[in-house]
Amino acid sequence: MWLPLIGLLLGILIGLLSPVEIPLGYVKYTAIAILAAIDTILGGVRAQLEARFDLTIFLSGFIINAAFAALLAGLGDLLGLDLYLGAVIAFSIRIFDNVGFIRRDLLDVYFRRVKRARDATG
Amino acid sequence: MTVARPVVRPRLPWWQVGLTVVLAAGGYFAATQIRNELEIREHLRIPSTRLNELAIRLQKQERRRASLEAAVGELRHQVAVLEREAAERQSGVARMNREVSELRALAGFTPLEGPGVVVEMRDSPRPIEPGDDPNKTILHYTDIHAVINDLWAAGAEAIAINGERIITRTGLNCVGTTILCNTKRIAPPYTIVAIGDPARLLAHLQRPAGPAEILRAFGFPLRLQGLERVTVPAYRGTTQFTIVRPAGEGP
Repeated sequence: MWLPLIGLLLGILIGLLSPVEIPLGYVKYTAIAILAAIDTILGGVRAQLEARFDLTIFLSGFIINAAFAALLAGLGDLLGLDLYLGAVIAFSIRIFDNVGFIRRDLLDVYFRRVKRARDATG
Repeated sequence: MTVARPVVRPRLPWWQVGLTVVLAAGGYFAATQIRNELEIREHLRIPSTRLNELAIRLQKQERRRASLEAAVGELRHQVAVLEREAAERQSGVARMNREVSELRALAGFTPLEGPGVVVEMRDSPRPIEPGDDPNKTILHYTDIHAVINDLWAAGAEAIAINGERIITRTGLNCVGTTILCNTKRIAPPYTIVAIGDPARLLAHLQRPAGPAEILRAFGFPLRLQGLERVTVPAYRGTTQFTIVRPAGEGP
């Protein structure tokens, strides 16, 4: 479990230290892409906890979701429609869903361990 | 792949590797995004979500500025027009000043000079004998008037007599042995100064049956003199109208 955390910290560190400038006009799109990425990551965590993790689906989801979210926001701008709000809402809901499932999965794991330990002692 | 899975590490965490990469990428993007957002807030003092609103405001202000600039241009143009008009008006004033000075000269309020003639008239030096009418040896205002009228007729442009400028309101009349001109008493010898073409004035005065001939015939000494430069003084009397006013104006 340490490797992903190290990766996360490394990414954050590089992001904070690198002098990459996101052009002002694209800040909105990258923000949505990041939202999509968070959703994908949580989805991956959940899949792993439910033992149905697929790296291909995970990686493709990460890239495609982020790219499509940004594209959707761009299209919305072209149409003069706040389409990115749709992406924001959709991803937010999914993130909450995933967090909820992760919580339950983690609780399941915990209770299973507690039960196992009780069984072992009792 | 499942077959090739190394037995030494039975649970090679592929998902961990993938998650690591993804988290690294996500962390990188998120950190970059946050850093940029913070910089934007630091520079613009507003979150980037308000950028659109700001952009619209900026556009509005720019449009307003453009219209104001157009107004400034229009106003500058107006100022230029007004300045030109003012300059023209000033030149108009200068023209009017010239006109006024000309009119003053014409009205007799300025001393004038130019080529002209000097006519000196005296009473008859003939001694009055008993029974003689003394009126026949002294100059009358009609004599002077005759000379002045002839000078005007010959094209004189300004006339003075004994330092009294002849203007439109000048009257000549006799009071005893003196003559009143501009309500001032003048006495012989009468020196009439007229500005005009000397040759023409002299010729007109000396024409047959002209005033010069008549005066001489009656024994009045007369001296005519054409000069290159004579001076006519300004009218010194009152210039006020107390009763008249320009026609066409209300009471």
